Amino acid sequence: MKKLKKLFIFLLIVFVGIQFIPTKRNQSTEVLETDFSKTFAVPTNIQNMFEKSCYDCHSNNTNYPWYNKIQPISWLLENHIKEGKKEFNFSEFGAYSKRKQKNKLKSLASQIRDNEMPMQSYTLIHRDAKLSDNDKEQIIVWINKLRDSL
Amino acid sequence: MKKSIYVLALITILFSACKNDKKQAESNSMQSSEMNMKEADGHDHDDHDHDATMGENSSKEERNIDATTQKNSATSAIIDSYLQIKNALVEDSKEGAAKGGAMMLTAFTDFDMSQLNDSQHKEYMEILEDAKEQAEHIVKSPIDHQREHFENLSIDVNDLIALLGTDKTLYQSKCPMAGEGKGAIWLSEYKEIKNPFFGSKMISCGSVQKQIN
Repeated sequence: MKKLKKLFIFLLIVFVGIQFIPTKRNQSTEVLETDFSKTFAVPTNIQNMFEKSCYDCHSNNTNYPWYNKIQPISWLLENHIKEGKKEFNFSEFGAYSKRKQKNKLKSLASQIRDNEMPMQSYTLIHRDAKLSDNDKEQIIVWINKLRDSL
Repeated sequence: MKKSIYVLALITILFSACKNDKKQAESNSMQSSEMNMKEADGHDHDDHDHDATMGENSSKEERNIDATTQKNSATSAIIDSYLQIKNALVEDSKEGAAKGGAMMLTAFTDFDMSQLNDSQHKEYMEILEDAKEQAEHIVKSPIDHQREHFENLSIDVNDLIALLGTDKTLYQSKCPMAGEGKGAIWLSEYKEIKNPFFGSKMISCGSVQKQIN
Protein backbone atom coordinates (compact mmCIF):
# COMPACT_ATOMS: atom_id res chain seq x y z
CA MET A 1 0.00 0.00 0.00
CA LYS A 2 2.82 2.32 0.95
CA LYS A 3 4.53 1.51 -2.33
CA LEU A 4 1.41 2.35 -4.28
CA LYS A 5 1.18 5.69 -2.56
CA LYS A 6 4.79 6.44 -3.38
CA LEU A 7 4.20 5.54 -7.00
CA PHE A 8 1.19 7.80 -7.13
CA ILE A 9 3.15 10.70 -5.68
CA PHE A 10 5.94 10.01 -8.15
CA LEU A 11 3.55 10.09 -11.10
CA LEU A 12 1.92 13.23 -9.79
CA ILE A 13 5.28 14.99 -9.58
CA VAL A 14 6.11 13.93 -13.13
CA PHE A 15 2.72 15.10 -14.35
CA VAL A 16 3.11 18.48 -12.67
CA GLY A 17 6.72 18.68 -13.84
CA ILE A 18 5.93 18.18 -17.50
CA GLN A 19 3.36 20.95 -17.39
CA PHE A 20 6.26 23.41 -17.32
CA ILE A 21 7.57 22.26 -20.66
CA PRO A 22 6.84 24.91 -23.23
CA THR A 23 5.16 24.01 -26.51
CA LYS A 24 5.29 25.86 -29.75
CA ARG A 25 1.83 27.06 -30.66
CA ASN A 26 0.85 26.96 -34.28
CA GLN A 27 -1.14 30.15 -34.53
CA SER A 28 -1.11 33.15 -36.79
CA THR A 29 -3.64 35.85 -37.50
CA GLU A 30 -2.19 36.57 -40.90
CA VAL A 31 -3.46 34.80 -43.99
CA LEU A 32 -0.37 34.50 -46.19
CA GLU A 33 -0.39 35.47 -49.85
CA THR A 34 0.61 31.88 -50.55
CA ASP A 35 -2.49 30.50 -48.83
CA PHE A 36 -4.53 28.02 -50.84
CA SER A 37 -7.53 30.38 -50.81
CA LYS A 38 -5.43 33.14 -52.39
CA THR A 39 -3.70 30.89 -54.90
CA PHE A 40 -6.86 29.56 -56.50
CA ALA A 41 -10.45 30.73 -56.83
CA VAL A 42 -11.87 28.36 -54.26
CA PRO A 43 -15.67 28.23 -53.88
CA THR A 44 -16.67 29.34 -50.38
CA ASN A 45 -18.29 26.07 -49.37
CA ILE A 46 -15.20 24.09 -50.40
CA GLN A 47 -12.85 26.48 -48.61
CA ASN A 48 -15.02 26.21 -45.48
CA MET A 49 -14.74 22.44 -45.56
CA PHE A 50 -10.96 22.65 -45.89
CA GLU A 51 -10.73 25.08 -43.01
CA LYS A 52 -12.95 23.00 -40.76
CA SER A 53 -11.53 19.58 -41.64
CA CYS A 54 -7.91 20.18 -42.64
CA TYR A 55 -6.48 23.52 -41.51
CA ASP A 56 -5.90 22.53 -37.87
CA CYS A 57 -3.01 20.28 -38.87
CA HIS A 58 -2.25 21.46 -42.40
CA SER A 59 -1.91 25.23 -42.06
CA ASN A 60 -0.08 27.84 -39.99
CA ASN A 61 -3.13 28.42 -37.85
CA THR A 62 -4.56 25.81 -35.53
CA ASN A 63 -7.85 26.26 -33.75
CA TYR A 64 -6.79 24.67 -30.47
CA PRO A 65 -9.08 22.73 -28.17
CA TRP A 66 -8.99 23.73 -24.46
CA TYR A 67 -7.21 20.53 -23.43
CA ASN A 68 -4.26 21.41 -25.58
CA LYS A 69 -2.82 23.26 -22.60
CA ILE A 70 -2.35 19.99 -20.74
CA GLN A 71 0.77 17.91 -21.21
CA PRO A 72 1.35 15.35 -22.63
CA ILE A 73 -1.57 16.14 -24.97
CA SER A 74 0.21 19.29 -26.16
CA TRP A 75 3.15 17.22 -27.32
CA LEU A 76 0.96 14.85 -29.18
CA LEU A 77 -0.82 17.66 -30.98
CA GLU A 78 2.42 19.50 -31.67
CA ASN A 79 3.84 16.42 -33.35
CA HIS A 80 0.71 15.83 -35.40
CA ILE A 81 0.77 19.42 -36.61
CA LYS A 82 4.48 19.30 -37.42
CA GLU A 83 4.00 16.13 -39.46
CA GLY A 84 0.86 17.45 -41.07
CA LYS A 85 2.42 20.70 -42.20
CA LYS A 86 5.47 18.96 -43.56
CA GLU A 87 3.23 16.80 -45.72
CA PHE A 88 0.90 19.51 -46.94
CA ASN A 89 0.56 23.12 -45.84
CA PHE A 90 -2.47 25.07 -47.06
CA SER A 91 -0.82 28.33 -45.91
CA GLU A 92 2.19 27.83 -48.18
CA PHE A 93 0.56 26.09 -51.09
CA GLY A 94 1.16 29.01 -53.47
CA ALA A 95 4.91 28.74 -52.91
CA TYR A 96 5.05 25.11 -54.04
CA SER A 97 6.34 24.39 -57.54
CA LYS A 98 3.68 23.53 -60.12
CA ARG A 99 4.97 19.99 -60.06
CA LYS A 100 4.47 19.74 -56.33
CA GLN A 101 1.08 21.45 -56.43
CA LYS A 102 -0.24 18.96 -58.95
CA ASN A 103 1.00 15.98 -56.98
CA LYS A 104 -0.29 17.34 -53.69
CA LEU A 105 -3.73 17.96 -55.15
CA LYS A 106 -3.77 14.41 -56.41
CA SER A 107 -2.85 13.06 -52.98
CA LEU A 108 -5.40 15.32 -51.32
CA ALA A 109 -8.19 13.87 -53.47
CA SER A 110 -7.08 10.27 -53.00
CA GLN A 111 -6.65 10.60 -49.23
CA ILE A 112 -10.15 12.02 -48.89
CA ARG A 113 -11.61 9.43 -51.25
CA ASP A 114 -10.03 6.57 -49.29
CA ASN A 115 -11.16 8.02 -45.94
CA GLU A 116 -7.58 8.35 -44.77
CA MET A 117 -8.01 12.04 -44.18
CA PRO A 118 -9.23 13.67 -42.01
CA MET A 119 -7.87 11.14 -39.54
CA GLN A 120 -10.31 9.12 -37.48
CA SER A 121 -8.62 10.07 -34.21
CA TYR A 122 -9.26 13.68 -35.16
CA THR A 123 -12.87 13.42 -36.28
CA LEU A 124 -13.67 11.41 -33.18
CA ILE A 125 -13.25 14.60 -31.16
CA HIS A 126 -13.97 17.15 -33.87
CA ARG A 127 -17.31 15.76 -34.98
CA ASP A 128 -17.97 18.66 -37.34
CA ALA A 129 -14.73 18.00 -39.22
CA LYS A 130 -16.07 14.74 -40.57
CA LEU A 131 -16.83 14.92 -44.30
CA SER A 132 -20.07 13.44 -45.58
CA ASP A 133 -20.11 11.43 -48.81
CA ASN A 134 -21.60 14.45 -50.51
CA ASP A 135 -18.84 16.73 -49.15
CA LYS A 136 -16.20 14.30 -50.33
CA GLU A 137 -17.72 14.08 -53.78
CA GLN A 138 -17.83 17.87 -54.09
CA ILE A 139 -14.21 18.28 -53.03
CA ILE A 140 -12.93 15.53 -55.31
CA VAL A 141 -14.78 16.80 -58.37
CA TRP A 142 -13.51 20.32 -57.75
CA ILE A 143 -9.93 19.19 -57.10
CA ASN A 144 -9.87 17.12 -60.27
CA LYS A 145 -11.06 20.09 -62.28
CA LEU A 146 -8.39 22.28 -60.72
CA ARG A 147 -5.70 19.68 -61.43
CA ASP A 148 -6.68 19.53 -65.08
CA SER A 149 -6.45 23.31 -65.35
CA LEU A 150 -2.92 23.47 -63.93
CA MET B 1 15.56 10.94 -1.36
CA LYS B 2 16.59 8.52 -4.06
CA LYS B 3 13.27 8.88 -5.77
CA SER B 4 13.39 12.62 -5.92
CA ILE B 5 16.73 12.34 -7.67
CA TYR B 6 15.09 10.14 -10.27
CA VAL B 7 12.32 12.66 -10.69
CA LEU B 8 14.77 15.48 -11.14
CA ALA B 9 16.73 13.44 -13.63
CA LEU B 10 13.60 12.61 -15.58
CA ILE B 11 12.48 16.21 -15.71
CA THR B 12 15.92 17.31 -16.86
CA ILE B 13 15.88 14.74 -19.62
CA LEU B 14 12.46 15.82 -20.74
CA PHE B 15 13.50 19.44 -20.79
CA SER B 16 16.59 18.82 -22.83
CA ALA B 17 14.75 16.56 -25.24
CA CYS B 18 12.28 19.32 -25.80
CA LYS B 19 15.02 21.84 -26.47
CA ASN B 20 16.54 19.65 -29.15
CA ASP B 21 13.21 19.31 -30.77
CA LYS B 22 12.84 23.03 -30.89
CA LYS B 23 16.21 23.51 -32.48
CA GLN B 24 15.40 20.96 -35.09
CA ALA B 25 12.09 22.61 -35.79
CA GLU B 26 13.86 25.91 -36.26
CA SER B 27 16.38 24.53 -38.68
CA ASN B 28 13.58 22.79 -40.53
CA SER B 29 11.67 25.98 -40.95
CA MET B 30 14.83 27.72 -42.10
CA GLN B 31 15.34 25.06 -44.70
CA SER B 32 11.82 25.38 -45.92
CA SER B 33 12.01 29.14 -46.20
CA GLU B 34 15.19 28.71 -48.23
CA MET B 35 13.30 26.34 -50.45
CA ASN B 36 10.54 28.85 -50.88
CA MET B 37 13.03 31.48 -51.92
CA LYS B 38 14.47 29.15 -54.47
CA GLU B 39 11.05 28.41 -55.76
CA ALA B 40 10.21 32.08 -55.98
CA ASP B 41 13.41 32.61 -57.97
CA GLY B 42 12.53 29.88 -60.34
CA HIS B 43 9.14 31.21 -61.13
CA ASP B 44 9.55 31.84 -64.82
CA HIS B 45 11.02 28.50 -65.10
CA ASP B 46 8.10 27.04 -63.26
CA ASP B 47 5.75 28.03 -66.00
CA HIS B 48 8.02 26.64 -68.61
CA ASP B 49 8.19 23.37 -66.79
CA HIS B 50 4.47 23.35 -66.42
CA ASP B 51 3.96 23.71 -70.15
CA ALA B 52 6.41 20.99 -70.81
CA THR B 53 4.86 18.45 -68.49
CA MET B 54 1.23 19.27 -69.01
CA GLY B 55 1.01 20.29 -72.67
CA GLU B 56 -0.23 16.94 -73.82
CA ASN B 57 2.26 16.16 -76.51
CA SER B 58 3.98 18.82 -78.53
CA SER B 59 6.30 20.38 -75.95
CA LYS B 60 6.89 17.09 -74.20
CA GLU B 61 7.90 15.50 -77.44
CA GLU B 62 10.43 18.21 -78.06
CA ARG B 63 12.08 17.72 -74.72
CA ASN B 64 12.46 14.04 -75.22
CA ILE B 65 14.11 14.50 -78.56
CA ASP B 66 16.66 16.61 -76.74
CA ALA B 67 17.24 13.75 -74.39
CA THR B 68 18.02 11.33 -77.16
CA THR B 69 20.88 13.48 -78.33
CA GLN B 70 22.29 13.89 -74.87
CA LYS B 71 24.30 10.89 -73.69
CA ASN B 72 24.72 11.47 -70.02
CA SER B 73 25.77 8.79 -67.57
CA ALA B 74 25.40 11.05 -64.52
CA THR B 75 21.71 10.17 -64.22
CA SER B 76 22.35 6.41 -64.32
CA ALA B 77 22.22 5.73 -60.57
CA ILE B 78 18.91 7.58 -60.26
CA ILE B 79 17.45 5.71 -63.24
CA ASP B 80 18.70 2.37 -61.91
CA SER B 81 16.92 2.95 -58.61
CA TYR B 82 13.78 3.93 -60.52
CA LEU B 83 13.94 0.71 -62.52
CA GLN B 84 14.40 -1.25 -59.29
CA ILE B 85 11.16 0.26 -57.97
CA LYS B 86 9.43 -0.38 -61.29
CA ASN B 87 10.49 -4.02 -61.45
CA ALA B 88 9.47 -4.62 -57.84
CA LEU B 89 6.01 -3.19 -58.51
CA VAL B 90 5.70 -5.40 -61.60
CA GLU B 91 6.32 -8.35 -59.25
CA ASP B 92 3.93 -6.97 -56.59
CA SER B 93 6.83 -6.68 -54.15
CA LYS B 94 6.33 -3.97 -51.57
CA GLU B 95 9.71 -4.69 -49.97
CA GLY B 96 11.55 -4.54 -53.27
CA ALA B 97 9.95 -1.21 -54.10
CA ALA B 98 10.84 0.16 -50.66
CA LYS B 99 14.43 -0.91 -51.23
CA GLY B 100 14.41 0.89 -54.58
CA GLY B 101 13.03 4.00 -52.87
CA ALA B 102 15.94 3.97 -50.44
CA MET B 103 18.36 3.44 -53.34
CA MET B 104 16.89 6.46 -55.07
CA LEU B 105 17.32 8.68 -52.01
CA THR B 106 20.99 7.70 -51.92
CA ALA B 107 21.35 8.25 -55.66
CA PHE B 108 19.99 11.77 -55.36
CA THR B 109 22.29 12.50 -52.43
CA ASP B 110 25.28 11.30 -54.42
CA PHE B 111 24.32 13.21 -57.56
CA ASP B 112 26.93 15.79 -58.51
CA MET B 113 25.06 19.04 -59.04
CA SER B 114 28.15 21.06 -59.93
CA GLN B 115 27.89 19.99 -63.55
CA LEU B 116 24.48 21.62 -63.98
CA ASN B 117 24.16 25.03 -65.57
CA ASP B 118 21.95 27.73 -64.10
CA SER B 119 18.75 26.99 -65.97
CA GLN B 120 19.12 23.24 -65.45
CA HIS B 121 19.76 23.78 -61.77
CA LYS B 122 16.39 25.37 -61.08
CA GLU B 123 14.36 22.66 -62.73
CA TYR B 124 16.59 19.99 -61.27
CA MET B 125 15.86 21.30 -57.77
CA GLU B 126 12.12 21.08 -58.38
CA ILE B 127 12.36 17.58 -59.74
CA LEU B 128 14.66 16.61 -56.88
CA GLU B 129 12.33 17.96 -54.23
CA ASP B 130 9.34 16.16 -55.68
CA ALA B 131 11.08 12.89 -56.51
CA LYS B 132 12.61 12.67 -53.04
CA GLU B 133 9.19 13.05 -51.49
CA GLN B 134 7.77 10.32 -53.72
CA ALA B 135 10.72 8.06 -52.87
CA GLU B 136 10.30 8.66 -49.14
CA HIS B 137 6.67 7.62 -49.37
CA ILE B 138 7.56 4.56 -51.42
CA VAL B 139 9.96 3.52 -48.64
CA LYS B 140 7.26 3.57 -45.95
CA SER B 141 3.91 2.92 -47.66
CA PRO B 142 1.70 -0.06 -48.48
CA ILE B 143 1.86 -1.17 -52.10
CA ASP B 144 -1.20 0.67 -53.42
CA HIS B 145 0.27 3.93 -52.12
CA GLN B 146 3.65 3.02 -53.53
CA ARG B 147 1.98 2.72 -56.91
CA GLU B 148 0.31 6.12 -56.62
CA HIS B 149 3.64 7.73 -55.79
CA PHE B 150 5.30 5.78 -58.58
CA GLU B 151 2.98 7.52 -61.04
CA ASN B 152 4.33 10.91 -59.96
CA LEU B 153 7.85 9.58 -59.78
CA SER B 154 7.64 8.36 -63.37
CA ILE B 155 6.86 11.89 -64.54
CA ASP B 156 9.73 13.25 -62.47
CA VAL B 157 12.24 10.74 -63.85
CA ASN B 158 10.94 11.27 -67.38
CA ASP B 159 11.43 15.03 -66.99
CA LEU B 160 14.85 14.49 -65.46
CA ILE B 161 15.89 12.53 -68.53
CA ALA B 162 14.44 15.21 -70.80
CA LEU B 163 16.44 17.79 -68.86
CA LEU B 164 19.76 16.03 -68.47
CA GLY B 165 19.74 13.04 -70.79
CA THR B 166 20.86 9.46 -70.30
CA ASP B 167 23.10 6.96 -72.05
CA LYS B 168 20.63 4.15 -71.41
CA THR B 169 18.10 2.83 -73.88
CA LEU B 170 14.66 3.14 -72.33
CA TYR B 171 11.06 2.71 -73.41
CA GLN B 172 8.30 5.05 -72.33
CA SER B 173 5.02 3.18 -72.05
CA LYS B 174 1.55 4.28 -71.13
CA CYS B 175 -1.21 2.46 -69.30
CA PRO B 176 -4.58 4.08 -70.11
CA MET B 177 -6.23 2.59 -67.02
CA ALA B 178 -3.80 3.89 -64.42
CA GLY B 179 -4.02 7.32 -62.81
CA GLU B 180 -7.70 6.85 -61.99
CA GLY B 181 -8.52 6.32 -65.63
CA LYS B 182 -6.55 9.32 -66.83
CA GLY B 183 -3.65 7.17 -67.95
CA ALA B 184 -0.10 7.18 -66.64
CA ILE B 185 3.35 6.65 -68.09
CA TRP B 186 6.28 4.61 -66.89
CA LEU B 187 9.79 3.92 -68.14
CA SER B 188 11.27 0.52 -68.74
CA GLU B 189 14.61 -0.89 -69.83
CA TYR B 190 12.84 -3.41 -72.10
CA LYS B 191 10.21 -3.16 -74.80
CA GLU B 192 7.88 -5.85 -73.53
CA ILE B 193 4.91 -4.53 -71.53
CA LYS B 194 4.99 -5.48 -67.85
CA ASN B 195 2.69 -3.15 -66.00
CA PRO B 196 3.97 -1.73 -62.69
CA PHE B 197 0.70 0.05 -61.82
CA PHE B 198 -1.35 -3.13 -61.57
CA GLY B 199 1.27 -5.89 -61.38
CA SER B 200 -0.03 -9.41 -61.82
CA LYS B 201 -3.65 -8.18 -61.93
CA MET B 202 -3.17 -6.62 -65.35
CA ILE B 203 0.37 -7.35 -66.33
CA SER B 204 0.08 -6.65 -70.04
CA CYS B 205 -1.99 -3.46 -69.93
CA GLY B 206 -0.35 -0.62 -71.83
CA SER B 207 1.66 0.14 -74.92
CA VAL B 208 5.06 1.55 -75.78
CA GLN B 209 4.85 5.19 -76.79
CA LYS B 210 8.43 5.96 -77.60
CA GLN B 211 11.96 4.79 -77.38
CA ILE B 212 14.62 6.90 -75.69
CA ASN B 213 18.04 6.35 -77.35
